[in-house]
Amino acid sequence: MVIVEQGISDVRERSLLRSMFEARKHVFVDLLKWDVPVLDGRFEVDQFDDRDAYYIIVADEDDRHLGSARLLRTDRPHILGTLFPELCNGDAPGGPDILEITRFCLSRNQNAADRRRTRDRLVSALVRFALDRNIRTFTGVAEMNWLQQILAFGWDCRPLGPPRLLDCGMIGALAITIGPGTPALLAGNGIWEDEELTAIHWPEAA
Amino acid sequence: MFNRVEAFVRDVRELKTEEALAEALGDVSLDLGFRYFALTHHVDVRQDGASIRLHNYPTGWAEWFDDQKLGTADPVHRASHLTSVGFAWSRLEEMISLTPRDQHILALAKKEGIGDGFTIPAHVPGEAHGSCSFATVAGEKINEDQLPLAQLVGAFAFEAARRMGRLRDPCPPLPRLTDRQRECVIWAARGKSDWEISQILGVSHETVIQHLKQARERYGVGKRTLLAVHALFDGTIAFFDVLRR
Repeated sequence: MVIVEQGISDVRERSLLRSMFEARKHVFVDLLKWDVPVLDGRFEVDQFDDRDAYYIIVADEDDRHLGSARLLRTDRPHILGTLFPELCNGDAPGGPDILEITRFCLSRNQNAADRRRTRDRLVSALVRFALDRNIRTFTGVAEMNWLQQILAFGWDCRPLGPPRLLDCGMIGALAITIGPGTPALLAGNGIWEDEELTAIHWPEAA
Repeated sequence: MFNRVEAFVRDVRELKTEEALAEALGDVSLDLGFRYFALTHHVDVRQDGASIRLHNYPTGWAEWFDDQKLGTADPVHRASHLTSVGFAWSRLEEMISLTPRDQHILALAKKEGIGDGFTIPAHVPGEAHGSCSFATVAGEKINEDQLPLAQLVGAFAFEAARRMGRLRDPCPPLPRLTDRQRECVIWAARGKSDWEISQILGVSHETVIQHLKQARERYGVGKRTLLAVHALFDGTIAFFDVLRR
């Protein structure tokens, strides 16, 4: 099942969100050694995990996290615009039809074949979400050692500026154009899995 | 100069032929201060010869290189398996131990007029691997400021080559193993015999023989060593599975 959540008030209130923040801690803190805050020694939660963040979560039948990504609005503070503006050749792209993909995360307790399938479902769900909500562009900050894989999904990517060598490695900013033709581009690379997205926990329209 | 790279990325999406890609890559290389480029792409290890190699090296060097069948013995190629971001050839010595033959190859390249180089490895797990290299004319130094841009150009050029390769030879679907077959392959990769695996998994000796036989058939290989190597390459099993204690 692919689940869409918007906003968090208390990460401990729902088991799926809990398992997602735990998986993020395992991946980004324990494995990749990112210097990001950890809550209660178990959950990786930062200042962008707020009521405006979207979470796309691939879950197993027991409602446990397999993979997830966080989407941030770019008309509000987000990672590229706030933390890494120097990665863009001009201003960081921002607007109501642009979302930033952050914290792309696959649970570590899957074998390689299952991880690949979770990855494909997650990438497909991101594109489905964008198409359903008229999002035309994803932006993102990526370590250069992921660049080749991101390009190999087959979708339409372009760099936003020259990569830079920082303490955390060489990182760069990308934009991905999403349109009606994107599913076919993913399908050409064996990535596309069309699944219905289940929205949970939508707040009252403000 | 970033605008130049943006234009390259835009143009390369529309290119249909390897010749057009080579021309575009040659042009952008010059703008980044490199006289030479070489892009190699091995589409699929299971298919002989289905690879793309584009370059504008001096004719003499390329012929000698091919005559010696240096493709995979090339020290730059070997080093490219050790990293996922670009490296300067001046760092080769720190990355791999250079044999006398490697030193000889590097000296010959220099004699043919090839100077400093920068190689961007390209790995798509389970599928394609290769690299994109840029080199100066012997005697000219690399412009360090351009290396991040060379990194981008290399990655996008490689993806364009990969797309062309797929159009020409669509990848056959990956063999899929059952969970039990996979477990047997992991133990086989760790050097266990069929009988030992049967004791570890608590199944009959004959069952393990059948699992591994079927796994070899799915990969079209006859030996358990090759089975393990193929399963590692396409990610059906991970190095971590095999090496952890």
